[in-house]
Amino acid sequence: MAHIPDGVLSFPVLVGGGALAVGAIALGLKKIGDEDIPRTAILSAGFFALSLFALPVGPSSVHLLLGGLMGIVLGTAIFPAVCVALLLQAVMFGFGGLTTLGVNIINIALPGALIGSLVAPMIQRATPARAAVIAGVASALCVALTGLMVAASLALSSADYMLSARVMIASYIPLMLIEGFVGGFCISFVKRVKPELLAGAA
Amino acid sequence: MMRLLAALALLAASAWPAQAHRLKLFATLEGETISGYAFFVGGGRAQDADLRIKDEAGHEIAQLTTDKSGAYSYKAPQTQTYHLIANTGDGHVAEATIDKGRFSGASAAALAPDEDDTPAAAATTAQIERAVDAAVARQLRPLMEAYEAAESRTRFNDIMGGIGMIIGLAGLALWSSARRKTKP
Repeated sequence: MAHIPDGVLSFPVLVGGGALAVGAIALGLKKIGDEDIPRTAILSAGFFALSLFALPVGPSSVHLLLGGLMGIVLGTAIFPAVCVALLLQAVMFGFGGLTTLGVNIINIALPGALIGSLVAPMIQRATPARAAVIAGVASALCVALTGLMVAASLALSSADYMLSARVMIASYIPLMLIEGFVGGFCISFVKRVKPELLAGAA
Repeated sequence: MMRLLAALALLAASAWPAQAHRLKLFATLEGETISGYAFFVGGGRAQDADLRIKDEAGHEIAQLTTDKSGAYSYKAPQTQTYHLIANTGDGHVAEATIDKGRFSGASAAALAPDEDDTPAAAATTAQIERAVDAAVARQLRPLMEAYEAAESRTRFNDIMGGIGMIIGLAGLALWSSARRKTKP
């Protein structure tokens, strides 16, 4: 899915992704306050563990990305959170490469950060039911954006990896549905029992 | 609340069979036929994946597609090292290599034939060798498949270790920010 392994991407794409990731992580770290640290760590750990579990769907196999959920709760702190989790996945499970770490961080975290900071104020004001709908749509959009960015990273690197639209649709549409439900459920739950968790998204 | 969520996540993680999500390519040699399948570790086979075969020099010599069970087979035209690259089209790529030393012809050439071998005896030797190769390949295949599947299985301990590491990092960050505050 979004864990691109080593030796697939071309050098300019790797360097570009790496530079973007370093900048984004620096920005995220600068904005993290003391009170943001625990929830950043919890979501990082959640992403680390949940995105290890994959389900076979159609011709491929999918796993959760949680980009929308992390983006809504963390804002720009999503970059360090995803960085730590992806680094551990790469080192411990050979899950995505080390050279592709930057590209993978950007592909997963950037849609979350953008869409998350866009909808976070709306969710803060909304009722739990409405918040669930907004978060669900946002999560599904994040998955689609991540899919497009993965496709772009591969297509920019080599014509060999031009992606077939059929496979992309077959694997990303089910994931968008699943992510939408998971994101919506989590946000409405948090909204009901601990709304202050959503208040401080940078 | 957080403790409840953490407990739930833990429960879900331990109840689920440990599966990592990663494409792998299984390849083995039977006679002159390279065969195998593309699979996701713990998560099914890769159907209709693009499979390219490259020779020693890196030139692409064949392009196949995996079938409904992710399987493929390719008749090797000559004895050389083959590189296989599977691509599912959504960001998963896996590679495998069949070394030229695994072709039966390679070992036969290495053993210099005896001077007094009659052509008939040489033919019998070649036949026996092929039969042994086929038998060994057949028997080894399940073992190699099991090894490939086990090699990258996600283990519960590893997941807990990773989560522990993240919690440790958070503790470190909190500690350093607390230190910064207490300093004048």
